[in-house]
Amino acid sequence: MKYILGRAAMALLFLCMVAAPCLGGDDYDQLFRRSSDLMAQGDLDGALALLKQVPAPQAGADGSAFVSSRMQAARIHAAQDEVAKAQADCREVLKVFPDNSEARNQLAALERAQRSRWATFLSDCLRFLPSLAKGAMMTLLLVLCTMLVSPLGGLLIALGRISRFRPVSGLCWFIIWFFRGTPLLLQLFFIYYGLPSLGITLSPMTAAVIGLGLNYSAYLGEIIRGAIQSIDHGQMEAAKAIGMTYGQAMRRVIIPQTYKRLMPPVGNEFIALIKDTALVSTIAMVELMRSADQLFNTYFNVTALVLAAVIYLLLTTMFTFIFEKIEYRAGIYEHR
Amino acid sequence: MNIAREPLLDLKGITKRFNSLTAVNNVDLQVLPGEKLVIIGPSGSGKSTLLRSINLLDELDEGVIRFEGQEVGYVTRHGRRHLDRPKAICTLRAEIGMVFQHFHLFPHMTVLGNVMEGPLTVQRKPALEARGIAEDMLAKVGLSDKRDVYPATLSGGQKQRVAIARALAMRPKLMLFDEPTSALDPELVGEVFDAIHTLAVEGMTMIIVTHHMGFARELADRVIFMEGGRFIDQGTPQEFFGNEQGNERIKNFLNRLM
Repeated sequence: MKYILGRAAMALLFLCMVAAPCLGGDDYDQLFRRSSDLMAQGDLDGALALLKQVPAPQAGADGSAFVSSRMQAARIHAAQDEVAKAQADCREVLKVFPDNSEARNQLAALERAQRSRWATFLSDCLRFLPSLAKGAMMTLLLVLCTMLVSPLGGLLIALGRISRFRPVSGLCWFIIWFFRGTPLLLQLFFIYYGLPSLGITLSPMTAAVIGLGLNYSAYLGEIIRGAIQSIDHGQMEAAKAIGMTYGQAMRRVIIPQTYKRLMPPVGNEFIALIKDTALVSTIAMVELMRSADQLFNTYFNVTALVLAAVIYLLLTTMFTFIFEKIEYRAGIYEHR
Repeated sequence: MNIAREPLLDLKGITKRFNSLTAVNNVDLQVLPGEKLVIIGPSGSGKSTLLRSINLLDELDEGVIRFEGQEVGYVTRHGRRHLDRPKAICTLRAEIGMVFQHFHLFPHMTVLGNVMEGPLTVQRKPALEARGIAEDMLAKVGLSDKRDVYPATLSGGQKQRVAIARALAMRPKLMLFDEPTSALDPELVGEVFDAIHTLAVEGMTMIIVTHHMGFARELADRVIFMEGGRFIDQGTPQEFFGNEQGNERIKNFLNRLM
């Protein structure tokens, strides 16, 4: 090692001795050092000006300082995103030394970088899409399961809350109080990591659906209760007056009228649900967020995250349109 | 009219309190089959409460209701009054039709759907039969052409006629009308009045709470004036609207309306 360093130092010394006369008293080493100092201070333009002072060599003379200066300039320009100037630096070298491989490679790299930004992105997308799509299917499955479970749970909770039987309304109040009052993440952790200590071991999917289902049932319960209580009291009386039981009146008269009022807030909840499914990535479920995270950590490539965001947006947009359609259909009897 | 017959409805000592206010105060009332009774009186006199307590929409504090000779609505358990089982209450309500001031049609059902609903859901009749009954009732109130529209598209008078048809579809033995024309524009009162009049002519037993003196004058067998939760006076329309006799308060009330 010492030997190589020694040889390098000697070579450098030799180079200086040979180069010195060409400089006419000025020292290129000095110049490179000063430009490095300027770069370190952040004065890139000053460093570039110094580097440009190195002239093109006469034919047959030693051009290494010239090549070094121009390649350094090209790197600075490239770092500044001045691709055209960086390419000009490389071409300056190639004009004198057409076979210089460093300048050629640099030029090619610059061109590739410029030409293929979109191509790279697209190829990354194609590369990531399969595993992200798999994750998205998982997310969608989770969302659909929760959408199936939580309105039913919410309806039960809502009916329980307006029940005149105190133990039932108290229990439903407690459920809402608990699940709205604690973080969803904590609930998921408790169900997946906590329940096994009570002898209940659940698969990630089951735990996720139970956690999201309970949480969203609690929220929807309050929304549904509000919608039921917003229906004109006369409707219940009219239903009773033709002899309906409470259950018949609810099922045939009151609840069908809540659908239209329910859609905007329930749509909101379900959009939030699509994004909240990202939380289940913490309990070993490989859904969209987890897939994106894994890709990002493997390739350090932001494209995975961008693509995941696009997929989330696609899902939420799709559901937004579906909910709008349903809301319109549900309120069709109000149109004159 | 006074043939000795068992009353269809027999109320004894009906009392209903809202906190400190006594809305109906120890009222007795007998309604014979086929009788048309019109109850008038100022706002807050307890007319609507009395009507609503008959089909148990309001729970009574005291009093006995007999319908077709049977005591209905309340049971005594451990020395305390309770509302009867929901099933029994529903059975009673199914036999008593009610029409509200604000119609309360089911907005999410078509006109036909509204009228079918009772026979279909409460009486559990087959859909075809329920539809047949509903179409008959709609024809009776002259709204056959509106069968497939939603209530939102109807005028107030049309809505109230649908509400009448909805009550009639249950084949009730008694009809209760709670200010059936009070929410209507004056020019729409006639069509609803005519529908109720047709019903009266057919022999339906009915109790009408109203501010519309046309009912009392042209339709009633008996008019009751109610104030402060009590019956102040009652009689035939002729007795009632004859100027010579009658209570000063009733006259004042009638004068304000005319």
